[in-house]
Amino acid sequence: MFMCPHFTVIATAFAVLLIDLFLQERQRWLLGTVTAGGLVLAFLAAVMTPIHGGAMFGGRFEANAVTWWFNIIFILAALVTVIISMDMVNGNAKVRVRGMGARGEYFAVMLFTLTGMMYFAAARDLVTFYVSLELATIPMFALASWRREDAKSGEAGLKYVILAMISSSLMLYGLALIYGLSGTSSLTHLALAKQSPLLWFAVALVLAGAGAKFTVAPFHFWAADVYEGAPTPITAYLSVASKCTGLVFMFQFMFVFFSEWLSNMGFLFASIAAITMTIGNTVAIVQTNIKRFMAFSSISQAGYFLMGFLSPQAPAVPALLYYMLIYLVSNMGVFTAIIWYANETGREDIDEYHGLSRTNPLMALMMMVCLFSLAGIPPLSGFVGKFFLFSIASSAGYHWLVAVAAVNSTISLYYYLRVVRQMYIEPVYPDAQFIPVPKKMVWTEGFLFAAVLLLGIVPTLYEHIHADTVGWFAALPK
Amino acid sequence: MGLVSWIIIMPFLTMLAVVSVPDRHWRMIRWISAFGTGISLALAVTLTVRFWHAAAGDATTMIAAKATKLYFVERIPWFESLGIQYFVGTDGISVAMVILTSIIIFTGSLASWYVDNRVKEFYALLLLLVTGVFGVFLSFDLFLFFMFYELAVLPMYLLIGIWGTGPKEYSAMKLTLMLLVGSAFVLVGFLAFYHVSGLKTFDLIRLGEIAYADGFQRWMFPMIFVGFGVLGALYPLHTWSPDGHSSAPTAVSMLHAGVLMKLGGYGALRIGIYLLPEGAKWWGIFFMALTTINILYGALGAIRQTDLKYFTAYSSVSHCGFVLFGVATLNMMGFKGAVLQMFSHGIMTGLFFGLIGMVYGRTHTRVIPEMGGLGKVMPWLATTFYIAGLASLGLPGLSGFVAETHVFLGGFFGNDFSSHLLMKTLTIIATMSIVVTAVYVLRGLAQVFQGPITDHHFDELTDATWPERIATGVLVATLLVVGLLPGPFINLIEPSIYPLLNRLHG
Repeated sequence: MFMCPHFTVIATAFAVLLIDLFLQERQRWLLGTVTAGGLVLAFLAAVMTPIHGGAMFGGRFEANAVTWWFNIIFILAALVTVIISMDMVNGNAKVRVRGMGARGEYFAVMLFTLTGMMYFAAARDLVTFYVSLELATIPMFALASWRREDAKSGEAGLKYVILAMISSSLMLYGLALIYGLSGTSSLTHLALAKQSPLLWFAVALVLAGAGAKFTVAPFHFWAADVYEGAPTPITAYLSVASKCTGLVFMFQFMFVFFSEWLSNMGFLFASIAAITMTIGNTVAIVQTNIKRFMAFSSISQAGYFLMGFLSPQAPAVPALLYYMLIYLVSNMGVFTAIIWYANETGREDIDEYHGLSRTNPLMALMMMVCLFSLAGIPPLSGFVGKFFLFSIASSAGYHWLVAVAAVNSTISLYYYLRVVRQMYIEPVYPDAQFIPVPKKMVWTEGFLFAAVLLLGIVPTLYEHIHADTVGWFAALPK
Repeated sequence: MGLVSWIIIMPFLTMLAVVSVPDRHWRMIRWISAFGTGISLALAVTLTVRFWHAAAGDATTMIAAKATKLYFVERIPWFESLGIQYFVGTDGISVAMVILTSIIIFTGSLASWYVDNRVKEFYALLLLLVTGVFGVFLSFDLFLFFMFYELAVLPMYLLIGIWGTGPKEYSAMKLTLMLLVGSAFVLVGFLAFYHVSGLKTFDLIRLGEIAYADGFQRWMFPMIFVGFGVLGALYPLHTWSPDGHSSAPTAVSMLHAGVLMKLGGYGALRIGIYLLPEGAKWWGIFFMALTTINILYGALGAIRQTDLKYFTAYSSVSHCGFVLFGVATLNMMGFKGAVLQMFSHGIMTGLFFGLIGMVYGRTHTRVIPEMGGLGKVMPWLATTFYIAGLASLGLPGLSGFVAETHVFLGGFFGNDFSSHLLMKTLTIIATMSIVVTAVYVLRGLAQVFQGPITDHHFDELTDATWPERIATGVLVATLLVVGLLPGPFINLIEPSIYPLLNRLHG
């Protein structure tokens, strides 16, 4: 029953592959629409499934309130990605990206990663855990190198393959060790493993894998090049959905398995959080390409997320989920504007955004608001989400980390303001005129913009998440 | 929705009205915003009158009170599971600040009458900023407070960056970043109160019921005081102020120097002293010394300036030093002086920056040595400028005198927590600034307005127009009223200061 959304996504993926076989080239625009429709169905299915699911396949998978919310987040991220991909993939963009053929596969492969992510959230066994993580990751390599004629895209794919495979094999080694030490492959019973130096080593290996997924320093190096080289919608997808996979990973390990130990390791994680956000933010300052810029911005966001793991207490779960949702809408909001602008003008450098507020005031405003939300400016949702995460760190006594994070937010504001400055303060292009905005772009951006505003002001959704997940810790098997 | 909420939301509604005006009717915008801010002013006056009646009976009971008594409280649960609420209300200090803000924004929108570049965005941002300022002065939930606090800072970036002059992008960025770093420390404090108190609430009054450990107070107080102090131009973190003010357009300088810098002093008093009395006692003398430097440094800096705006900005640093100095004295006189000085300096500096904008709009120069004899062609502006200048050097009869006297007496009386001799010495040093102020104000004004006309273009210049006369007139009238009849004004704020004082004395 609770696998309904998963099955819908898989069915859509195969349907897209199949339909693709019977379509003429000029009819292939249909594929994006079919994918979006399938995702809408999956979204509805995810909403309809009972929130407190249960175990399946003998406890290999388990659905609960947290996976319910993760499904919503994953499907939403994929849906937005599909919508903002359409112009580019269908060749409707004014500035065409060369080598973007094979639309059927593009959407199908994306849906496979989505399936992997959704299963990953539900996995409660080392085997299902690893397999679904690979399902979420491996198709991503293909997506990252989708722009066949672009060397950068190939480079992105290659870098991604190598680094992801290294981290994944390290992780697998760690998982094998843990299995050997605990004698069980059930994730919830791993904590029975006897504490020994070898176990620590194994955990370190696994966490390195999680760190790479989550772009936590020092495992973040792949991100910038991959984000820059990948087709922009895939960059958006990577920075949200793939990062969310990292978040799930951390949930599985830090909370389910590791929560007893966390109090001893808090300082280590706090330091990693501080380093991650500082590296992300300071390196973002010097970027000129907006995609690289967003890559470092998303690295710094991983540091903020880590703050939520410092205290394995009930409020941490809703705070992390809520911030993920906020990060999704803010980041996607920025990327929608980036993709639209690149589609229409081919411009991808920060300096090339000058005067956007004069030609397209509405898009500029919405992009600015999303950027401010990423920077954590009240009363936007980014502020509220960060505030809750900071609060988790503060409750665990890490006041210094709150100070570091808050100062980091200011640093991040500096580079977000660089974009705002280009759009609002610098003069327009001499021959600039209104740049047309396709309807679906403006509606997507408008939806994300509204979400960015409302999630910060209207508490309803947070209260829902809180009510659903606040008992999650208590329900974990001890 | 009560009166207090209306005050907060009024500028926001005005902003919505401004945004909905079609571009071709841009001239309407200034009328709308003058009207909207006029309503804000009327609401603020109503609040004062109603507060006066409501609080009149409580003056005697407040003498021994330890908790601030709030009036017109409105509470709505917000993020309920985290104890965050929409909690607004007012006490005497807030009322004074609300009146100040509404006067400044009303006159500020009149003073921006001749802005003609991207008018809609200009007024919209200005009104958004004021929403934040009203919110800070009226909210008593720390989460809400912080939200409004940052909302009041950020529009400044665009306001200075787009409509400013000179090195505007540099100044705008510097200002925004320095102020937000300050607020970052404030944020650490707010979260620490939430968790350390164990109450899981941001309600300022309830947080005030806890006695925090001395150790905690001692490291937290400088975070809060310096965090807010950045906005109050605390030396050596004041450097954003001269650059920011001189680059900002007229109304923004007015609002920023007039109101926004007061958020610093207000926050230090309202949150620093209220929640951390032990920390305040421990650090009081240190911050008194620091603010003494503030006062003198600002005044000495002003002497050397040749640009009218830099001149006023340095003078603001000096005068905002008085506010923080008053807070650091930790006694009745000092606290009263701090609040009075916030009000008086707000009006005075608003007038200053407004006038500079008006003069600059005519002469197209702000360089003092290039101007001369302007008093002959613009008598109204010259007269009001002199009044502002005299208020700033503390001439009896104007509000500056009342405020500065309180601050200095506060310093001179000393308190029970630090050495009297040291406090007296510091006060005497700080008093020297009055002389310095007289030197730079009189010299600067004499150069600009007296003597022969230095440039024949100046002959054709006109005096203030009606919107400008109303704006300056209102400000001058306020200076005079508070200067000549300070009694009622002091009675308004005094009961709200007792709780702060009682907390210091255990």
